[in-house]
Amino acid sequence: MATNHQQIQLQLDEKKDKQRKIFKIVGLSVIYIVLTIWAILTFVPLIWMFISSIKDTTSITQVPPQLIPDQPTLDAYRRVFDVGGFARWFLNSVIVSTILTISNVVLASLAGYAFAKLKFPGRNTIFWILLGSMMIPGQITLIPLYILIVNTFQMADTYLALVIPTLVTTANIFLARQFMASLPSTLIDAARIDACSEPKIFWKVILPMAKPGLAVLGIFTFVANWNNFFWPFLVTSSNEMRTLQVGLTSFRYQYTADYGAMMAGAVLTAIPMFIVFLALQKYFLKGITIGAVKG
Amino acid sequence: MSEVRFVNVSKEFEDDNKGKFTAVNDATFTIEDKEFMVFVGPSGCGKTTSLRMIAGLERQTSGDIYIGDRTVNKAHPKDRDIAMVFQDYALYPHMTIRENMSFGLKNLKRPKEEIEKKVSEAAQILSLENLLDRKPRELSGGQRQRVAVGRAIVRNPKVFLFDEPLSNLDAKLRVQMRMELSELHKRLGATIVYVTHDQVEAMTLGTRIVVMNQGEIQQIDTPEELYKNPKNMFVAGFIGSPPMNFVRGRLDGNIVQTVEHALVVPEDKLLKYAEYQGKEVVLGIRPEDVINIEHLPDAPAQNVIEPVIKIVEHLGSEFLVYFGIGEETIVGKISSDYHMEVFKKHQLYINMEKMTLFDPQTQMRIG
Amino acid sequence: MLASHHSSKMNKKRFTWENTVQFFKDYGWCYAFILVPVILFVLFTVYPLVMAFIYSFQKYSVLGSEWIGLDNYRSLMDSPVFWKAMKNTLIYTVATVPVNILITLFLALMIFPLNNKSQTFFKAAFYLPGVTSGITMSLIWLWIFDPTGAGLLNAVFDFLGLDSVMWLANPDTALFSLILMTYLGAHGAGILLYLAAMGGIPKSLYEAADIDSASWWSKLKNITWPLLKPTTLYLLVMGVIASFQVFEQAYVMTMGGPNLATTTVAYLIYEHAFLSFEFGLAAAESFVLGFIIIIISVIQFKFMSSDIEY
Repeated sequence: MATNHQQIQLQLDEKKDKQRKIFKIVGLSVIYIVLTIWAILTFVPLIWMFISSIKDTTSITQVPPQLIPDQPTLDAYRRVFDVGGFARWFLNSVIVSTILTISNVVLASLAGYAFAKLKFPGRNTIFWILLGSMMIPGQITLIPLYILIVNTFQMADTYLALVIPTLVTTANIFLARQFMASLPSTLIDAARIDACSEPKIFWKVILPMAKPGLAVLGIFTFVANWNNFFWPFLVTSSNEMRTLQVGLTSFRYQYTADYGAMMAGAVLTAIPMFIVFLALQKYFLKGITIGAVKG
Repeated sequence: MSEVRFVNVSKEFEDDNKGKFTAVNDATFTIEDKEFMVFVGPSGCGKTTSLRMIAGLERQTSGDIYIGDRTVNKAHPKDRDIAMVFQDYALYPHMTIRENMSFGLKNLKRPKEEIEKKVSEAAQILSLENLLDRKPRELSGGQRQRVAVGRAIVRNPKVFLFDEPLSNLDAKLRVQMRMELSELHKRLGATIVYVTHDQVEAMTLGTRIVVMNQGEIQQIDTPEELYKNPKNMFVAGFIGSPPMNFVRGRLDGNIVQTVEHALVVPEDKLLKYAEYQGKEVVLGIRPEDVINIEHLPDAPAQNVIEPVIKIVEHLGSEFLVYFGIGEETIVGKISSDYHMEVFKKHQLYINMEKMTLFDPQTQMRIG
Repeated sequence: MLASHHSSKMNKKRFTWENTVQFFKDYGWCYAFILVPVILFVLFTVYPLVMAFIYSFQKYSVLGSEWIGLDNYRSLMDSPVFWKAMKNTLIYTVATVPVNILITLFLALMIFPLNNKSQTFFKAAFYLPGVTSGITMSLIWLWIFDPTGAGLLNAVFDFLGLDSVMWLANPDTALFSLILMTYLGAHGAGILLYLAAMGGIPKSLYEAADIDSASWWSKLKNITWPLLKPTTLYLLVMGVIASFQVFEQAYVMTMGGPNLATTTVAYLIYEHAFLSFEFGLAAAESFVLGFIIIIISVIQFKFMSSDIEY
């Protein structure tokens, strides 16, 4: 009697276990399908950009549009360079983003280190003022900043104007402070006992340990500045001083009809960032969580 | 001469949460040349702050600190002729062991040959020769510990500072390192200042011990003196494991009257308690002075109590037995030769020869 | 670097040459490390902030500004265009931020149970579109929203037998079009934050729930969602701040039109400041915008914050 009962229970358990396994497999399949579809959807604009960029001027306006161009051509890319300035814009973007990346990494890491690890009168006050300023929307400071740089300093249309307001951002100082704080303080004490001067501690002890964090900071800064539009748009007026993003919008208003060239320009603008992302994926995927939330 | 001297040294901190608080209050003491001085106390008692003030990692708010004959009040750590071993070892993760050990000497711009010689000497003392080209992460905890000590040795300092260096090691390794540190002290003949929260470590290592609590120095003495003649209830309760039992009572004639028992004070002690006749006192009894009468050759005539045992903990050669006197729980450390049963009454002898009396108000030892 | 002031024997209140030298010996490097950022901050944040405040009470002119008190604020309060822009911004924010957070959470919840390889793949896939600029995305979507049948979206509508829509040219659909493109935008950063937070939730909580035979939904509702609240709050605040400042899409795709349908506050500020050079009015608008952003952030913190610790 009892054994019979046990056997039934055992069979029931086995059946439930099987059900659970099937449920899990079905569930996982559904997840993969939904995620894949959504991923494809988010890629549609990028794919469409690329497809449109290799169509010729007639097939691009064809109704209904060809999903795969029957005569792929790089003609649109040639037109991008024909309108003039594109190579220069590209160079400008490289120059500006590089300068800002270097200056932000250097200045933010020094300041972040000081705020995280050194004790000095006024440290907290200064830091909280900096942090609080992050709440202020950019629009407020933008107008006086524009007047200051363009009218007072007469810097319009120079590289200096493009870089000077964001040589180091508060957000980067905060980010640097976050990962500097995670480094063990006793190493700094040990270095002091080891007769290390303060700058040397930073250079010989802190920097080597902070490298991954600084890489993240640098990469994010580079991408952000490569993609930055508004400030370069305000302070550049000549064609030679435009950055890529600013130049790209001129396609919109000067060559309205030529979507092919516009898309080709967009591809050329976006591809460096894709390369940066794919090459440095792990920094992107790990880095975002350094500065946020658990601050 | 490499003594370390504190004269009226205080240290105040501005803390975000607690506001202003005093980490070390008016400390005056001398650590003699070649002494192994251990600072012990609960966390936040000021022992680490004291050490860091010797190192120059913190600056005292007031008072003077001397190392050797000179004041080091404002001297940078590098100018104090000290070396320090940290709790988490603080090895530079991106440098090899060799680089870790030679970093300080390099910064002091010592000649290359001298650095190499010192590093290999230290490596030999600590049997680290084969590890010199490894990175810290490739080493075990015990090995890292040795490297941290090695880094201090190559500096050949007047004073070695140790900040809880063994607390990250497992129990077995800790005992081994303890012995090695003792040997090292003898071999180097240097002054050592050692901070720990572990009173066993303090008792086994120190030639003298500074017991601290809440920024105040409680007592400075040899391990033996601390154990036998604690100055106050804090020291009595902190040194020794399990800690000393405290029972409230009243001194009447030659008797300490607790809520349940009348315990007889030995004649020779009565004189020094004279002032407290008829007053409230706290009786201090070490756990090993609670004895199962079965262990005694003759049944004692007095000071035998018969409590119900609440808990018996087996420690192998000993039992820890817990019982109540009034509201207080008393622990006795009793040889396990005779079986003791929980929830039963046992006859226990209180060895009043080793008793201590404290003033309940000031918490100071009487006499 | 040293945690205290000078030894009291030196009389710490007195300002002497010796004390000053000692102060710089102790803290000189600390201040050196933050010197440049602080100068830049004063020059390019504090000074502009003060000036913006002053401008907002002025009729700005290069030759000489005129003090007009609260006129700028008064005129923007009376301006139907400002209120229209405010309304557009609010609609845009309400329609984008919560929906995108839900999409992000949904995707993160699906990615979380996968194995490491698949996780990395999907994280990267959802992150990648995020490295393209707002301008690039706006241009692409401009082309996708093309009113002719050559525009991808209308082509899809044709294929489904629906009528073509004048997406961006029609005041009724223009703002909606800008909203729509955010749904298919990059959710990568938010997904990563959610995944990190999910990874931080102790497994024992779910095991305890399993023993209490909690359902999948109950676990989501009672464990995951409450413990993800800090992340949600962060995404919410950041999302609202960003969407209140939305500009590039409006500039590239619609120029605020048609008929003010996509004029956001940020776009209006741009128009007033840099097209009609009414710096004073624009400054007043920017302060109103900033004030609203700060108020909303504070409210969100009040309502959403919880003192969960685990």
